[in-house]
Amino acid sequence: MFSIIKQQLFRRFRESETKQHKLSYLFWECTTRCNLSCLHCGSDCSQNSSHTDMSAGDFLKALDTIKNPAPGFTVVLTGGEPLLRTDIEACGREIRKRDMRWSMVTNGILYTKERHISLLNAGMGALTISLDGLEKSHNWLRNTSAGFNRVVDAIGLAAGSQRLNFDVVTCVNQRNFGELAQIRELLIEKGVKAWRLFTIIPIGRAANNRELLLNNAQFVQLMDFIAESRKSQAIDVKFSCEGFVGKYEPKVRDSFFFCRAGINIGSILIDGSISACPNIDRSLAQGNIYTDNFYETWETKFQPFRNRSWTKTGKCASCSNYADCQGNGLHNWHGDKSQVLVCHNQKIENGLKIRI
Amino acid sequence: MKQLKSKRNWARKIIGGLSFTSALFIFQACYGTPQDFETDLLIEGKVKAQATGLPIKGIRVSVTDEGQDLMTDETGSFSFYTIAKDSISLRFEDTDDAQNGSFATKDTVLTDFSKPIFLDIALAEK
Ligand code: SF4
Ligand code: SF4
Repeated sequence: MFSIIKQQLFRRFRESETKQHKLSYLFWECTTRCNLSCLHCGSDCSQNSSHTDMSAGDFLKALDTIKNPAPGFTVVLTGGEPLLRTDIEACGREIRKRDMRWSMVTNGILYTKERHISLLNAGMGALTISLDGLEKSHNWLRNTSAGFNRVVDAIGLAAGSQRLNFDVVTCVNQRNFGELAQIRELLIEKGVKAWRLFTIIPIGRAANNRELLLNNAQFVQLMDFIAESRKSQAIDVKFSCEGFVGKYEPKVRDSFFFCRAGINIGSILIDGSISACPNIDRSLAQGNIYTDNFYETWETKFQPFRNRSWTKTGKCASCSNYADCQGNGLHNWHGDKSQVLVCHNQKIENGLKIRI
Repeated sequence: MKQLKSKRNWARKIIGGLSFTSALFIFQACYGTPQDFETDLLIEGKVKAQATGLPIKGIRVSVTDEGQDLMTDETGSFSFYTIAKDSISLRFEDTDDAQNGSFATKDTVLTDFSKPIFLDIALAEK
């Protein structure tokens, strides 16, 4: 009974958040150059990206259109691999001058002690590093022979900082599925406080690689693993925001499913496109910083993000969970958008049937 | 308009508070990082030679128990962010031998964070 009331209240909360659409989290795809060639990469980056890095000046000009940034407003530097840029610290300092925070997602390869210190000096406040398994499975997914040791060193550095809001993300797949408990132990041993797990949607390089995707029974096991891990205080384990997980709401996260793309999350992509999470189909871009005022675009456009009724199609059209799921995370809509790419809830229902 | 906004903010807090905790207002996207609500401080300043008043390049400025450090630039200036604490211990050290002169190490403890921090540090010659 209490959980039904909570869920109802949460729907109201989500509605009010959508109406207000306070921008508090801004991705900046500052480069699409990368020093790895991961098997699951969903972006069109490569070691020699066809895009040149966006200049700090162009980005800052767009940032300066934001009036009254929300408390804790964070610019999240992403790529490609942001650390391939040598001006990250200078960009970070400029962001801080504007009374905003900044953070970065990295594959950890270039995260040396010297860089760690210079990033902290430049006011970096949060960091996410990807660790995709124990040595063999991490290196397999990351398509590198020496990645694991470097990443583990980087994790040690970041976990040792009192300043950083730091977490590790793991992309769960067939190869590392059996290692999750060991990865959790490794992270605890390294002093990591938070661990986020996500699964891969079948786009980009992942579309044709079955080893990257979990079957239904495994997906249920993953939910159980997270729910169980959350009972311990040793490390804060959670499932990413990627989808509505039915019976496991809200046991695998701190709160119910809420895709905040275009509601609180915006982005400036490598070509200047204005959108939300970088993994969202690029056809949903709402403007471009080279032709539009960024903040005006945020305030006046983004209708497909704030009114999700267009996702009531395909299997979502007659779904009894639509009120809570609203067509799942927006990054699950690609191509002609006639069908949601992944329904996490369906995976769970089917997985539970197999178990019975 | 202002009234409407503040009403909405209250609704946000009440509904949010009833249905969950502050976790509701803290989020991260799949490929993103956690948000940053930590309190930190910007510490800036300039290091000069006590005798001449000239700026000293290459002095190592470090936060004693944070493992954070940086070097002063051509103008003797330094600027860095560090986590806010009741007190912050800083060390100014000449680590480049006689290259930019030889100066004695100086330690400072900061306890007043009520105003922007700009430190004028004078180092005695060795
Ligand atoms: S069918 Fe669509 S709305 Fe229903 S749970 Fe699946 S993704 Fe969500
Ligand atoms: S689009 Fe995907 S990654 Fe972005 S907030 Fe929604 S669910 Fe999360």
